[in-house]
Amino acid sequence: MKQNKRNWLLLAPAGTWFLVMLIIPLSVVLIFSFGERAPSGGVVLALSLEQYANLPARWTAFKNTMTLAPIGTLAALLIAYPLAYFLAVKVNPKWKTILLVLVIVPFWTSILIRSYAWIFLLGGRGLPALLDWIGIEGVRLINTPFAVLVGIVYGYLPLMVFPIFVSLDRLDKRLLEAASDLGASRWNAFLQITLPLSIPGIATGCMLVFILLMGEFLIPALLGGGKVFFVGNALVDLFLQSRNWAFGSAVAVTLVVVMLITVTIYMRLIARLGASRDDVAIM
Amino acid sequence: MESVQYATKTDLVSGNAIAELRGVTKRYGSVLAASDLDLAIEPGEFLSFLGPSGCGKTTALRMLAGFETPTEGQVLLDGEVVNDVDAHHRPVNMVFQQYALFPHMTVAQNIGYGLRQIRPRIPKEQINERVGKALATVRLAGFEDRRIWEMSGGQQQRVALARAIVNEPKLLLLDEPMAALDRKLRKEMQIELQDLQRELGITFVLVTHDQEEALSMSDRICIMRDGRIVQIGSPQELYDTPKSRYVADFVGTSNFFDGKVVGYQGDLVSVRLSDGTVVEARSLHQVADGQDACVSVRPEQMRLSREEGGLPVHVHNRIFLGEHTEYLVTHAILGEFLVLSPRQTEMNDGPFNAGESLTVSWDAGTALVLEQE
Repeated sequence: MKQNKRNWLLLAPAGTWFLVMLIIPLSVVLIFSFGERAPSGGVVLALSLEQYANLPARWTAFKNTMTLAPIGTLAALLIAYPLAYFLAVKVNPKWKTILLVLVIVPFWTSILIRSYAWIFLLGGRGLPALLDWIGIEGVRLINTPFAVLVGIVYGYLPLMVFPIFVSLDRLDKRLLEAASDLGASRWNAFLQITLPLSIPGIATGCMLVFILLMGEFLIPALLGGGKVFFVGNALVDLFLQSRNWAFGSAVAVTLVVVMLITVTIYMRLIARLGASRDDVAIM
Repeated sequence: MESVQYATKTDLVSGNAIAELRGVTKRYGSVLAASDLDLAIEPGEFLSFLGPSGCGKTTALRMLAGFETPTEGQVLLDGEVVNDVDAHHRPVNMVFQQYALFPHMTVAQNIGYGLRQIRPRIPKEQINERVGKALATVRLAGFEDRRIWEMSGGQQQRVALARAIVNEPKLLLLDEPMAALDRKLRKEMQIELQDLQRELGITFVLVTHDQEEALSMSDRICIMRDGRIVQIGSPQELYDTPKSRYVADFVGTSNFFDGKVVGYQGDLVSVRLSDGTVVEARSLHQVADGQDACVSVRPEQMRLSREEGGLPVHVHNRIFLGEHTEYLVTHAILGEFLVLSPRQTEMNDGPFNAGESLTVSWDAGTALVLEQE
């Protein structure tokens, strides 16, 4: 009984935080989403589904989020995997730590400032000007989905690199020797041993990046220039500009539900990929 | 000058060797891991590389497997030089020290891995059948669908063994396969490995630092030190006729006495020990008058007696071992040494008590003059 009490004490700080910062706000948003817009902005509590019926008005934001988030995650994975592989397997151990630090160096500067750099790079006087100079004319990069994609892949790459690096780094190199000893070529050993054993890292990286991308608003705002916007941008607009809290809440609730459904499906898929016991610990 | 010539190497290049090392040297930068190794492995034999860690035994094994390429010399398999043949193209399989089983595969998938790499593909039914047979051979029938982590250490070792033998390799390499097992299990596995080797007729090459393991299982042992092969021979040859003090010390236990050669007749050499006593010992190599010599006498060749005639000693300690009694005795100048007294002597003369003054003697033929290092 006493033991039990102490366990609860241990959970208390996190539990309180969870309650105050997550459960209560989420409940408030849920309640607001069934309300109506007050004449002067804000919300009047009610029990109507009107806001949800209105959702198609923000279809573009959902569409953009649901296409660019998965594509961005996939692109980040394709770029991060070879990098993580290089860092974990190929690089001289002497340099490993330094190179790993270099991967997170961009985090030392605010994403806001780094995104401004991209605005310049992709803007009229940046890359397009260079292309123009070598004879490829009329390329527009800034304020396109491509610009947003570049921005999010750039911003979230380290979050993909690290989990994959960890899973590759702790891979027992003798397993590859064993595979080679049993007649597997290097490529087959990679496909049959390295890749399956790095699935936990891939799964964790993809999950991290995907969830964060679903809620992204800064990069689309800066590099999409109001033309390519995410649900996050819609929320900022509804809560801060239009002051339509009721509709904003409905959009927010919908985003959370969509995210939960996607993540659940994703976890099922990963589990079915034949996750071994070690994988569970990481998820 | 009369002298005795020692046969320096076991007849090395016999025509039908299944694997050979010819003048093989391996350097890692400035570190010499293996130096001028010459060795012919006979088909169907059980050969062990024995030596302390860092003696080059694992390097030798890894060169046979194809994980390392010799800096100099040639590695031959079945009469062909395979220096440039990758591990995955060699008809050789290895049981790794920590087994290196694939954690994301079932037992059957692990064992079938080698068979699945073969092109053109072997039909699935045939793979399953061979996997089943291999599992039965290592007495794990019915464990096909188990996960690796569900298996005990001993079982994992059997899986590793099955994964190697299922490919019917020309050479089965075992890298300290027993190191992770407890003592009792190790004994069992030693017997099983020997049975398995006889049953399959595959050539086994074992790497170990455990002399007991090497002695009990091998047809021949290749003793290594500092990257070199010191002596190759059957366990009995190595025990009875060690070439050097290093070998005599590594294979079994022995007492060593330093002295100088003062004469010889045939292969019997007279050596004056540091206390002035002159003893006779057999020499298997050439010696010269006045040369430093080391005389080795096995504890069981020594006789304890209350009578005169022998080295005068005091009994320091007595340990009763049943069949034998082990005495630690002290000589005023030569120091301490071990004597193993048979039960018969104990019954007739013994027991000898601690502190008692005795003499130690041995037959001239049982003492050996060894090469100085």
